[in-house]
Amino acid sequence: MSAQLEIRGLSVVYRDAGEERELLQDISLDLQRGEILGLVGESGSGKSLLCRTVIGLMPSRSLTMTAGTVTLDGVAIHDTDMAGLRGRRIGMIFQNPTSHLDPVMTIGKQIAEGLRHHKRLSAVAAKAEAIGLLRQVGFPDPGRAYGSYAHEFSGGMRQRAMIAVALACDPEILIADEPTTALDVTIQAQILRLLIELRDRRGLSIILITHDLGVVAQSCDRIAVMRAGRIVEEGEKRALLADPRHPYTRQLIDSHPTMTHAGDEPAPHPHDRKPIFEIDDLRVHFPAGGGFLTPKREFQALKGVSLRVWPGETVGIVGESGSGKSTLARAILGLTRITSGQVSFEGHVLTRDPKATLKHLHHGAAMVFQDPFNALNPRLTIGETLAEVLRTQGETPAAEIETRIGELLDMVGLERSYATRRPRSMSGGQCQRAGIARALAVNPRVIIADECVAALDVTIQAQIVALFRDLIARTGLTLIFIAHDLAIVRTLCERVVVMHHGAIVEEGPSARIFARPEQAYTAALIAAVPDIDPDRPLNGGQTTLQQESAT
Amino acid sequence: MTAPALSRRAPRWRAFLRRRTMLVAGLAILASFVLLALLAPWVAPSDPIFQDTTAKLLPPSLAHPMGTDNFGRDVLARVIWGARIDLQIAVIGVVFPFLIGTGVGTVAGFFGGWVDALFMRIIDVVLAFPFLVLMLSIITILGPGLGSFYIAMALVGWVSYARLIRAQILVLKTQDFAVAAQSLGFSRARIMFRHLLPNALAGSLVFVMSDAVLVLLNGAAISYLGLGVQPPLAEWGVMVAEAQGFITQAWWITLFPGLAIVTLAFGFSLTGDALADLLGVHE
Repeated sequence: MSAQLEIRGLSVVYRDAGEERELLQDISLDLQRGEILGLVGESGSGKSLLCRTVIGLMPSRSLTMTAGTVTLDGVAIHDTDMAGLRGRRIGMIFQNPTSHLDPVMTIGKQIAEGLRHHKRLSAVAAKAEAIGLLRQVGFPDPGRAYGSYAHEFSGGMRQRAMIAVALACDPEILIADEPTTALDVTIQAQILRLLIELRDRRGLSIILITHDLGVVAQSCDRIAVMRAGRIVEEGEKRALLADPRHPYTRQLIDSHPTMTHAGDEPAPHPHDRKPIFEIDDLRVHFPAGGGFLTPKREFQALKGVSLRVWPGETVGIVGESGSGKSTLARAILGLTRITSGQVSFEGHVLTRDPKATLKHLHHGAAMVFQDPFNALNPRLTIGETLAEVLRTQGETPAAEIETRIGELLDMVGLERSYATRRPRSMSGGQCQRAGIARALAVNPRVIIADECVAALDVTIQAQIVALFRDLIARTGLTLIFIAHDLAIVRTLCERVVVMHHGAIVEEGPSARIFARPEQAYTAALIAAVPDIDPDRPLNGGQTTLQQESAT
Repeated sequence: MTAPALSRRAPRWRAFLRRRTMLVAGLAILASFVLLALLAPWVAPSDPIFQDTTAKLLPPSLAHPMGTDNFGRDVLARVIWGARIDLQIAVIGVVFPFLIGTGVGTVAGFFGGWVDALFMRIIDVVLAFPFLVLMLSIITILGPGLGSFYIAMALVGWVSYARLIRAQILVLKTQDFAVAAQSLGFSRARIMFRHLLPNALAGSLVFVMSDAVLVLLNGAAISYLGLGVQPPLAEWGVMVAEAQGFITQAWWITLFPGLAIVTLAFGFSLTGDALADLLGVHE
């Protein structure tokens, strides 16, 4: 059987003002009919570019395909009419459904548009078909969804809508570019299951681009690993995961957080001292809409959270987006107004004596942020950023600031020459290290890390987690680690707090929570983590395809 | 770092010049005007206010490359000396609105709440009046002259800068690095002026350039109406105004100062556009 999509010797070159770089080098790849192919690699490895080249949507005019052929069912693609192919035979879905759905057009109209254009259906027939599609991708009330706009749906539902838009033209191949990266684990599990079902039912061939090996392990038949514009390894998923040939593949697999490393289980901490943070019945409400004539409404971001954090402890706070994790972090650092309840830091009560407590917090606690580029002032060099913190803290004499900066960079594993660089000339992982160095410059007793590895590639994630582990071991730091990625929390934290809708649903030692969760919500969250072992099926999150029989 | 294949690379300065033709051209125009203004006493063929009653309304010739006006003054000399005043108008007329607007915008955007509301209402009031009418009434109250023009410019012109900067600060202050600065206990002034403002400035620096053009044209318009530079001082707007009665007989008296205004304005615009590209304002 010959492949449905054949890529042979494809190369793409970037040319701009005397500069020339080869971004894709001699890529050959096959996609069989009804197959799900996983394309894995770090950001910048050329995964997305490859797929965009295949459908002729080059992201920039400076890019040209210099060599190679792409054939679809034996016909070379680049000779035939591209606009007809795009959409009708090859559909594409993207990482961020919000920016790829038209905000001022109803979901239904966007689907019907494709149906009328490609299938030449009448308006009435297109509407009926669009509603059918919305039901297929799991909208509980497709009739209502047809008339709704993108912003009325959650991230997961928007991704379903985008899949429906792509399916509208009945494509033979679907290219999914990081379709679940922006979603919570439970929603990710649902979307992956939906893709597999679509393949089974419609005979769709799918190319799934992702940086998460767990996702491919769970959903794909074959895996191709990309690095720096080349395919370094390709093969059947079980064979590849069990016996990776290329060192880079091995590194990717080792970095995956669901791998349990022997001896990583941290020892339980003796609670012989006073807690560093004491939080009692903390409530934070935000004003949400309402106003002049309509009654004011409030959104309850935290609904009475009580928590104690002990010195030297590593606490993981997990939950889906919107569960109030970040609000909790900001509230205990005095960055968000507290509606009611009490927060005390080393005996100072934030709500009773804000000024003194804040001063204390500025010298004893520091935060590490999610987006490494956004968290550093782009105009300042790393050295300037660190020097500013040291001067404000006032504990380091002016003459020793230079040496202290060097020490801080050593601690986070950056070369000392980075002191003169600006964030723009650094990679995400390097920026995150600089962000951690800034937190350490405070010489804090506690660091609060808010989703600080979520924006990084897996291998970099593993490095940052190792850095934290090392810092904890060396300095006895207390760490509050906020993440939606349970696998990382499991390897790093000794205690886990699970949050849902602004409240703590479960809390306890990591080992116990992950082995025997008491709450159904915790269990669902844990089960939804895609494991790198393909034989450990994905079973979190309820599928919403039960209404299928109605189609 | 991990680029698969690096091939050739043109010398850097040549690539830079090729990409920055606009910047180079704009700066060259501005520089030549500045040079002209500085060297006016040596470059100008004669005294700009010297009246030669025997040589009235002469067309361009070798002796008078741009002709003479109705008082027998050399137009070239007046255009060259005029550069001094017009450059001064463009610079001073922009600097004060920029400083005031930047300060107000930063404070309003950072503090929000009633501070912001207060400044925004003041801005609304200023914007509610037509620009030129407001300028004219302030100058009439203060009395004609360049000083009054600068004061009026500062009182009216700051609003655009304040709004530009405020909008930027509103976005920037929610960014993680601003939150980080807050969590590290930096003072408000430090957060405002060291962390937020430098990142908010790019847009208004570009606006400064296009604003200089507007101020220049305003200055010319105000002088034309007799409220700015007073005759017999050489200023391009005044020159155009004075000579309009002779436009059918002696086109050269209005054409050359007019061209000077357009060329200088063009220089500012080019530099502004090039700066916008360079600072990535569109990104």
